[in-house]
Amino acid sequence: MAEERALVDSAKRGSKAAFETLYRNHVGKVYGLCLRMTANRATAEDCTQEAFIQAWRSLPAFESRSAFGTWLHRIAVNAVLAQGRRRSERLGTTGSAEDEAVALADPSVGDTGTVLDLEAGLRRLPAGARQALVLVGLYGYSHEEAAELLGVAVGTCKSQVHRARQLLGERLAVTEVVP
Amino acid sequence: MSHDRNTSTTPLDTALDALPRGIEPERDLWPAIEARLEPRDVRAGRRWLWPAAAAVLLVVGSSLITASLLRDDEPLVARRAPAAGQVGYATAAFGPGQTLDPAYETARQDLSRTLSARIDRLPPDARRQVERNLAEIRRASAEINAALELSPGDPLLEELLLNAYQDELAVLASVNQLAGGNGAGPIDATRMKL
Repeated sequence: MAEERALVDSAKRGSKAAFETLYRNHVGKVYGLCLRMTANRATAEDCTQEAFIQAWRSLPAFESRSAFGTWLHRIAVNAVLAQGRRRSERLGTTGSAEDEAVALADPSVGDTGTVLDLEAGLRRLPAGARQALVLVGLYGYSHEEAAELLGVAVGTCKSQVHRARQLLGERLAVTEVVP
Repeated sequence: MSHDRNTSTTPLDTALDALPRGIEPERDLWPAIEARLEPRDVRAGRRWLWPAAAAVLLVVGSSLITASLLRDDEPLVARRAPAAGQVGYATAAFGPGQTLDPAYETARQDLSRTLSARIDRLPPDARRQVERNLAEIRRASAEINAALELSPGDPLLEELLLNAYQDELAVLASVNQLAGGNGAGPIDATRMKL
């Protein structure tokens, strides 16, 4: 943690070497988040790049009130959502996973079939449901935090997560037990 | 981030928990990122760029106003308040780490000074409303800046911030226009951008 703080301070002062170390330490989680939110490898790469570039630009204002990783994740989520808005504006649609010719890299070679099925199930979800589930179910955001990031009401976020879980459950034949 | 799951764990939760959070990209993205990182000292100069859009608002929309207001004894000609949203803007970085464009700041300070000198010409109710609204706009700008610190690059917040700055300029210019006329006669406060 102290080491990361030192890296952040160096990067704030302009050290690209320190920023590269931060990149190496965090790119996996950032790319994972972007890939699962966008369900598209090329788009996820673009969003990851944008997130780190935006982080570099905004770093002087970062006051370490939150962890660097948490701050970076929020930037990545915003990069994904901004990219989605630009795409929707271009296409004049709201966009969904079904619209995209998904060419997702197999992210879990060597893992079990269940993990592969789950990744495939995630990327076939409608965009809104997928993004809500990825944030809440996978990356630990609260419904309130996810709703704020996604620009939707908390109730909408909860219903999107519920819908995503239902669809995933059906597709994976996983029995969802209502608590 | 905080977990917000139901207390009961379902098979799907278990499956989701088993997914690795990190996925390494297939290619190294660093070279492309590094190529786009601006050196800090250069960026310091470029930080001025975005508020230039707001300065353009003055140049395009109210250059006549500004020039006339600074020459107190000359009659104003074709004064016109800039319309909010009249000028487009480019996507750029905002937030507390950014610094306002010097030209924008100068114009803003000029308008604020002139307003201070002329605000007494306004009817008391209109004056209170102007002061209240300006304070509200400036409070909103500060809050949006604080939010941008937590969520850098958020396009909605950036747009809100630019709108807040434009609103402030529009109020300043509009009030100055009306309060700075011949100084006599009633002022129609409904014509102001309040």
